[in-house]
Amino acid sequence: MSTGLHFFIGKGGVGKSTTSALTALHLAQSGHRTLLVSLDPAHNQRDIFETAFAEKPTLVRPRLVVREIDVDRWVQDYLKESSALLKKAYAYQSAFNLQRHFNVLKFAPGLEEHALLLAFDDTVRRNAHMDDILFDMPPTALTLRFFSLPSITCLWLKELLDLRTRIYAKKAIVSKIKLKSIEIEQDKVRDRLQTLIEDSGRHRRLFTAAATDINLVLNNDPLSRSETERICRKLKDIDMTVTRLILNKCDPQTVQDGLTQTLKTYPLRRFPLSRIRLTGLTALEDYLLHHPCQTA
Amino acid sequence: MAGMHMWLRSLWESADAVMRAKAVETIAYEIEELDNIFGVLVLGAFLGIPSPPVHVSMALLPLMTDELDLVLERVLTAHDPLGNLFSVLSID
Repeated sequence: MSTGLHFFIGKGGVGKSTTSALTALHLAQSGHRTLLVSLDPAHNQRDIFETAFAEKPTLVRPRLVVREIDVDRWVQDYLKESSALLKKAYAYQSAFNLQRHFNVLKFAPGLEEHALLLAFDDTVRRNAHMDDILFDMPPTALTLRFFSLPSITCLWLKELLDLRTRIYAKKAIVSKIKLKSIEIEQDKVRDRLQTLIEDSGRHRRLFTAAATDINLVLNNDPLSRSETERICRKLKDIDMTVTRLILNKCDPQTVQDGLTQTLKTYPLRRFPLSRIRLTGLTALEDYLLHHPCQTA
Repeated sequence: MAGMHMWLRSLWESADAVMRAKAVETIAYEIEELDNIFGVLVLGAFLGIPSPPVHVSMALLPLMTDELDLVLERVLTAHDPLGNLFSVLSID
């Protein structure tokens, strides 16, 4: 059985962390080996579980482990690794003053979502034995950039590969005319491009796999509803579909959810407003006890 | 006498202007080059060289030492692109 990936996305403050923590706890109680991963730099999971999580997964209940991704550390590690590779390739690197460029690269657009993608990849690879992995995602803008990065990268890579192939076809003609045979060494750049295309394709497939859920969390208020509609549209633009909406902090007495026609087309799961503050395992388990069917 | 004085003064002023221009010639050239580099960096997309996502450049850069040398060489001969073309076509 393949591992189910569950993303919890939505506007800041709607309760992505709380609903993902409750769902993870519910899955673990139901016998699933579950991993909850916080990809949100705000790291609310440590407040919810009242535990200082780290990159190394922490067991909080039988079958439930929590991992907190330090995005800055992933960016640093990635830059360090790239820097080492470049220094090896460019022995005369002092002429370029590479270190100075790397200091600026830390702030290059696109690096944060790439680091998130590396962390995501690492998590999925290391935890193939899990039944479910839940991702508590960062606020909308970064999440959308994270989801669209593999598609954008793939577009670029395919164009570059096409150009590279044309260059090498011409080189082959030159070689044939000059040396009367095609003697061109293996093109490492083309090989690397192909590997990168495979990586991006794998990420795309993971995002759109049948075992992957996109849970879009919202509250019953106009701002949250309009941002939710925008997220649905943006995801559609990159061929991704929201699996279900999660209406958090809803009033169990209110029949009207205030959802627009567009939002009513998605399956809905309700998380009623808690009477107590949802921090600490006891409070979370108490909530699940009183609302047994909400997270099913 | 006054005419002579005026003539000497204008000679001095011309020489002064020439020397001053000469003194900043190198810096002016350097400024122009830096302006060019800045322009390429900021406005690359307008010149038809949009940048791929950073990690794509980073993944390929260690394998592209020859290409980088070529790009840098092209920058050096950028002021005389026709000269390069003529030499390729053997036109004197």
